[in-house]
Amino acid sequence: MSESVFSPGIDPPSPTLSVRLRELADYLAAPAAGRLTEEQRALSLGIARRLVHDVAARLDPAIDPAGLWDEWLRGGLPCASRLAGICFARAEEHRWREQSAQRTSPPPAPAEAGAPPPEEPAAEASMSDTERAYLALRIADRRRFDALGNPALAIADLDADVFRGLLLDIAAWRLAAVSADKNRAAALGDAVRAATAFQASERGITHAGTVYAEHLGTDLPGAAAIAIDRHDWPTLVALAAAVHRRSYDDMALALLTAETASLPSLLAPLRLDHAALAPLEASLAMLPARAVGEGDHGEPAGGRDR
Amino acid sequence: MSERIIRGRIDRSGALVSADAPLLRLQQRAGSALDKPLALPHLARLVALAQRLHRDISRPLYTADDHSDIHALVRITPDADGASLEITDWRTRPIALPQMPPVAESAAAAQSWTWECDQQLRLVALRAAPDTPVLPAGWEGRSLSELFELQPDDDGHFPVLRALARQSRFDGQRVQASDTAMTLSGEALFDATGRFTGFRGLAIVDEAPRPVEPKNGGALIDPAFGSLPLSDPQFGRRIDGALRGPLSRIIATAETISGQFDGPIRADYARYAGDIAHAGRHLLGLVDDLADLQNIERPGFKAAADEIDLGDLARRAVGLLGMKAEEKGIRIDAPRVDDKMPATGEFRRVLQVLLNLLGNAIRYSPEDSQIWIRVDREGDRAMITVADQGQGIDADQQAVVFEKFERLGRTDSGGSGLGLYIARRLARAMDGDLTVDSAPGQGARFTLSLPARDAA
Repeated sequence: MSESVFSPGIDPPSPTLSVRLRELADYLAAPAAGRLTEEQRALSLGIARRLVHDVAARLDPAIDPAGLWDEWLRGGLPCASRLAGICFARAEEHRWREQSAQRTSPPPAPAEAGAPPPEEPAAEASMSDTERAYLALRIADRRRFDALGNPALAIADLDADVFRGLLLDIAAWRLAAVSADKNRAAALGDAVRAATAFQASERGITHAGTVYAEHLGTDLPGAAAIAIDRHDWPTLVALAAAVHRRSYDDMALALLTAETASLPSLLAPLRLDHAALAPLEASLAMLPARAVGEGDHGEPAGGRDR
Repeated sequence: MSERIIRGRIDRSGALVSADAPLLRLQQRAGSALDKPLALPHLARLVALAQRLHRDISRPLYTADDHSDIHALVRITPDADGASLEITDWRTRPIALPQMPPVAESAAAAQSWTWECDQQLRLVALRAAPDTPVLPAGWEGRSLSELFELQPDDDGHFPVLRALARQSRFDGQRVQASDTAMTLSGEALFDATGRFTGFRGLAIVDEAPRPVEPKNGGALIDPAFGSLPLSDPQFGRRIDGALRGPLSRIIATAETISGQFDGPIRADYARYAGDIAHAGRHLLGLVDDLADLQNIERPGFKAAADEIDLGDLARRAVGLLGMKAEEKGIRIDAPRVDDKMPATGEFRRVLQVLLNLLGNAIRYSPEDSQIWIRVDREGDRAMITVADQGQGIDADQQAVVFEKFERLGRTDSGGSGLGLYIARRLARAMDGDLTVDSAPGQGARFTLSLPARDAA
């Protein structure tokens, strides 16, 4: 990415030209590959913005997140390469879920013989451990949205290195503003350490999925099949991530970029029959501009594996 | 592509002779049934059109059941014996995106929280917009009705609970959250199988604090009681705040149980819960009166003169507090159904007095003991006595037990020390009285006397 398209010693006349030439170079290098759609760009950018805001607020509430973001938009995000994978994974997951929800809100289907019951057993006054774990999973998932329901990344879900790198980038930006004040600069350093330590103690959706999978035990395949039937994709991804011991984001991206034919093998540990997979295949097949590749052989998306 | 298709069949006379469950359910909700005329007007018109044209037609279908709009695409294939229906792309609500709150960015004004709960009203998301009250800690997984003290609407109903029963959107649910008055609204959420999965919506801070409407005019300075707290309208508001929340929660929970929203329970338990909710609503009305307690203090305060039956009121009080007694293994010997004692007094206030007496008896009775409630008549007085096997009250204490804030040295959280004071004031306001007869170790007998009424 950092390789210049100009001859050594020749500076590009404008950042815009530089970006466009890089884009063209990328295109020429792989003309047949699909490009990001505007929606994918916008979603990813929005996710990155919300993440930068959240991390800045955690570092120092006095930071003006709008000012920080505006400056980074003009000059480029210093953490671009670190954020690309996780933002793209989250954006793609969001597109998938949104499309799925829009396309399919049918009424309750007639119960079929042998099919899992449409409703969970009657809730008891006190929740079972499994129910509690499922609730925790839902809560962890809902943390991945902002107050308006826009997709976001929960800080608890970030890989420690990504989080720390982002903290340092923001701290560096902030340092420029407060460098005259040594006390505040020192406080910033303390804030970075404190935020890093706190984030290390947080548990995100990957962990919630693992706990839920553990409580499900032998019921896991059934729960995964129900999740598919209900288009409850976050639960499916979380369970798949748990059995693969991968991070949620990583697993989501693996599913979203998998060829239809490779889905059964990708989800083999969930022990689902082919019929159960059909709604998943259909849903993914209908998602436009999907970056279908070689299944799950891509780079991990940068999520933490807890 | 595995798009779900809902099928149905119309016979020559226009009756729906077979239908997949969703279509049949719609037909039933429209008041019809299988083998009865198609009761969905838009669909019926389209069927008639297809039959008139003698060819297949595909049209958008718009219909609704009692809680959601339905958009679908229907293909009608007419034949000699009627018509076949194939309905696809069935959507049970307008385009509110499940991943997004049902509000535009501009609508999610300042002074609001966004929230989401599951189908059992457990919170799974709570976010604050800038400049809003701080979110309460530990909201995760807590019940909506626990975090937000639900307030009934003017009809005594809870919009969110009604929406839960109907699985539909709601608004105007007044709540109290961390001393902040807010109004909740929410959209029902469904998954791909049509299963209700919860609500998502807004909690908007009320612009002005909700006034406690004075029932009988504004603040009053009581010449008899001077500046006692009960003469202060602020005190009334504090009482209102302290009682309304917990009581509302009781009602909300009882309605949830009664409605079996969380799943089926034994019918008698559901009935008990319904009784609790009913009585709770009744008591909530009393809270309004308690909030204006200073009215009772006013000279000339009079209660209504309803025709009441002390036996019936006793049984209602037992119905309300019976479970609490059972928890301590206390048996309540209440008047039998045919044990009537007609009297004159205000229904709600007599019940309030009895609840106070019975509640005290339960609170101060030893476990596995017994409480008696007897009705009797002496001349023109109808009397009801609540007797327990507690430690009793000595003569000195009897002299002060009806005084305000008197708790006989007790420091537990069981009461405010106002109950017996209010009870006696109410009794006297109804031309009756409340007396106690007790000795240490002999339990206590509280007797409410009211003007007797000859049964019609």
